[in-house]
Amino acid sequence: MIVEGTFTFQGPRETVWELLQNPDVLVKVLPGAKRLVRAGEDRFDGVMQVGVGPVTAAEFTVSVMLKDKVPPQYYAMEVDSKGTLGFTRGSARVALEVLADGGTLMKYTAELQVGGKIAGVGQRLLDQVAKLMTRQGLEALNKELRARLAGGSSR
Amino acid sequence: MKPAAFEYHRPDTLDEALALLAARAGEAKPLAGGQSLIPAMNFRLARPGVLVDLNRLAELAYVRPAEGGLRIGAMTRQRVVERSSAVQGAAPLLAEALPFVAHPQIRNRGTVGGSLAHADPAAELPAVMVALAARFEARSRSGSRTIPAAEFFTGLFGTALAPDELLVEIALPPLPARSATAFLEVARRHGDYALVGVAAVVTLDERGRCREARITLLSVGGGPVLAAEAARVLAGQTPSEDVVRAAAEAAATRDADPPSDIHASAGYRRHLAAVLTRRALVRAFERAGHVA
Repeated sequence: MIVEGTFTFQGPRETVWELLQNPDVLVKVLPGAKRLVRAGEDRFDGVMQVGVGPVTAAEFTVSVMLKDKVPPQYYAMEVDSKGTLGFTRGSARVALEVLADGGTLMKYTAELQVGGKIAGVGQRLLDQVAKLMTRQGLEALNKELRARLAGGSSR
Repeated sequence: MKPAAFEYHRPDTLDEALALLAARAGEAKPLAGGQSLIPAMNFRLARPGVLVDLNRLAELAYVRPAEGGLRIGAMTRQRVVERSSAVQGAAPLLAEALPFVAHPQIRNRGTVGGSLAHADPAAELPAVMVALAARFEARSRSGSRTIPAAEFFTGLFGTALAPDELLVEIALPPLPARSATAFLEVARRHGDYALVGVAAVVTLDERGRCREARITLLSVGGGPVLAAEAARVLAGQTPSEDVVRAAAEAAATRDADPPSDIHASAGYRRHLAAVLTRRALVRAFERAGHVA
């Protein structure tokens, strides 16, 4: 499955970059994230609880490795997650561009392999779930960004 | 293929059901026909702690003509609606779409309200209800409210229902004069989830121009997609081949944001959306008395 898109953040690239590398921020904005800790210089480990529609939220352990970092404009990620309902493995590339109005344009592409029960039963929905979760996460991050720029934290 | 343990309640009246949902809000899941929920439970994808079985609520199973339109109880079986002469007369779009809903065995058990509250993005009934501008009555212990179909569906499996609310009735307004409808879909095999489906309701004015078009697409987004751009192309126009083609193109490229999966790519779904919208519009305009 390929998930790609763009998202415009209302804030400067350096701040966006900083938030994207901060597990304490990511755990607040990623849908269903329950825990996320730095497990190495470029590695985060965490637990997410994900459920959509009729599917009762189930836990996944997640590990993310950041690679090829070019602050504050580019990084790649290796993602690995597993839970009782299945697994996800894959890589993602994220590029940040400065916009004329002071905002930041994110371009992302992820290539994910989803397996196990969720893939067997929910194949036709994976794409939409991935899109939905990506959008929710990015919108929450943008909200956090704006709150920080306004001089506080959103929660 | 066995569900996780759950507590089971089978109330005899709507009041009892609402009291149970209020007492166990967040934990309790209403069970209607069970054609989606039970398989999800058996796969252990869904693990509701408490089931409130609505199947004894005979008070919610009816089709009644009302104010030129129809009122349909949420627990009415899909097959009953499909075969109802009142539905064929007042809401032919619904009668035309129902044979595409899975298989007769499933429609014998599946309910209209169950399919709507489940809000699967590939389901036919949500798209039909949005096209018909249906109004849903939701009830909880603290009262009842009416939700327009277009506001009821909030995204992938999402509805405006609160955890203690039940969808109890669907009200279909009468179609305006010089209106007609059409439903079309493409699935890999009959009864499979649609790759794309289209419901169209068109209304002509006295001079044969399109006064209003409500077109909804299914399986091209998180929920039923009302094709507003396509409607704008048609508004005030005589429905010529060119106008219909332009509207279908607008629906496929500007209204729809289809997903890719192993069954069909987003590009193929867009192609289907254009073709099916064009055919559905041609059929609906013909039925409305327009001669191309």
